[in-house]
Amino acid sequence: MAIRKKEYINTNVYDESLSRIRYLFDAFDKVVVSFSGGKDSTAVLNTSLKVAKEKNKLPLEVVFFDEEAIHPPTIEYVKRVYDLEEVDLKWYCLEFKHRNACSNEEPFWYTWDKDKKDLWVREMPDEAIKEHKAFKKGMSFQEFSPYLYDKSEGRIAMLTGIRTQESLRRFQVIARKKNDAYINSRAEKGRNQYRAFPIYDWSSEDVWLAAHKFKWDYNKTYDIFNQTKLYNNFLTQRVCPPFGEEPLRGLWIYSECFPDMWHKMLNRVEGVSTAWRYGNSELYSNSLSKPDHLTYKEYLNVILDSYEHDSKNDVKRTINQYIKNHKKESSRPILDTEINPLSGVCWQWLCRIAIRGDFKGRQSNTLKVQAMKEREKLKITLEEAIKLYK
Amino acid sequence: MKQPLDKITWIDRDQLKPNNYNPNKVAPPELKLLKTSIIEDGWTQPIVINPDFTIVDGFHRWTISGHKEIHKLTKGKVPTVMISPKDLSQQQMATIRHNRARGTHSVLEMSNIITDMVNDGLDGSEIMSRLSMEKEEVTRLLFRAGIPKSQVFKDKDFSTAWNPK
Repeated sequence: MAIRKKEYINTNVYDESLSRIRYLFDAFDKVVVSFSGGKDSTAVLNTSLKVAKEKNKLPLEVVFFDEEAIHPPTIEYVKRVYDLEEVDLKWYCLEFKHRNACSNEEPFWYTWDKDKKDLWVREMPDEAIKEHKAFKKGMSFQEFSPYLYDKSEGRIAMLTGIRTQESLRRFQVIARKKNDAYINSRAEKGRNQYRAFPIYDWSSEDVWLAAHKFKWDYNKTYDIFNQTKLYNNFLTQRVCPPFGEEPLRGLWIYSECFPDMWHKMLNRVEGVSTAWRYGNSELYSNSLSKPDHLTYKEYLNVILDSYEHDSKNDVKRTINQYIKNHKKESSRPILDTEINPLSGVCWQWLCRIAIRGDFKGRQSNTLKVQAMKEREKLKITLEEAIKLYK
Repeated sequence: MKQPLDKITWIDRDQLKPNNYNPNKVAPPELKLLKTSIIEDGWTQPIVINPDFTIVDGFHRWTISGHKEIHKLTKGKVPTVMISPKDLSQQQMATIRHNRARGTHSVLEMSNIITDMVNDGLDGSEIMSRLSMEKEEVTRLLFRAGIPKSQVFKDKDFSTAWNPK
């Protein structure tokens, strides 16, 4: 994908964001801030508040999805925002499905799970909205969010604090569009919400500078982070659910900074204690560390065996699908480490998929690329490979 | 040279008092392990106190000595040794030294030890309970050595019978 270059304009990011938000207020029936409690949210909230005041559109509607196991200072900050007179904050506590990469026994967990009230890491806040007519237990945020507002409310701009500095992919999302780079041109799932990114060009230093200049209130979790090893490393400071693949590497932050909540987190889902101790070691890495005395084919069974029944069946089904596809493409047996130049499969690769716990089986493109690379390595064409391996 | 350990005194736990600065936080699983350790191995280490009976090291051992199972082992008495730091800073330093002068277990060595235990015929559930480990930890450590979970956590019951339809 081609990335268009940045074209700098003669204004600063703060003033430019205000004009973007002014435009959003004019072009849409309703403007809503999607608020996470993170620092980028703070920037969107405060710039939007300023514009809403100018345009006499107070109170400003803000939505917050509370993911239960969140840093205590985040909760305090959200409460302060909730209490602002010029803000109408909808505080949702719904049973969203999230990945629990700490454990093979319980690969998913549900925030505010009504069946596990006794295990919640904190009490549900009084402000909570516990139900929504479009929500069913176990939905992901992506599945649910397009249905947040009824179509009768008109066209809604959902303001989000995504910044391109955070990742190349996010840069591409923004750069792909020619005009109004900060507004999605289509509503999600054909409904009535349009995501908009009014601070997409801010750096994290810009966010902190604005917070300082305009004395914005902010999430004090960042002050605590700055006392730990995350000091000055702005980009790695994220506020997100703690048990996923990447976040589990940072479980130590909870144990060091918020011991009371941590002690509850230990019982909330399976494997937290183990992930805390070994999250940054080979026991949780994606790299393969096969014992010498086993072949990859044998090792695959050990890996599958490490899953609990239901998840084991899911992963097994995926692996079987790959094996079936292989048989369609080639009559040769699957080899331990040598990639088949037609199917792209070998036992080592299947082990990697099994370790990652691929529940969805979205790897067919990878396989095609792998097979092609193998043919290049062997210096044979597709036709020759078909003759030899079909 | 005289050493604090030359004189171990058994004192009623209620006479000791915690210091107000202890930075060491022990999570519930480790506290449980400490309890198991005293129940299985007995008291092997004294609590370190200063002359006014404030705890310098051993706060968590002292805490669980109030739990019923531990209390009854020694009728509420705990072993102590006394040191005499010359001021509060010196005492705090002694606390930190006791807490931090310890190693971490390397993953691969742990994996080997647990594997040896299994090869010696120990059951996964026994390892879990006696070391306060989650199933996840035992499974992952053994998995690293290529031992399938089904070999370690055997189903205690027969599976359900069925007839062909």
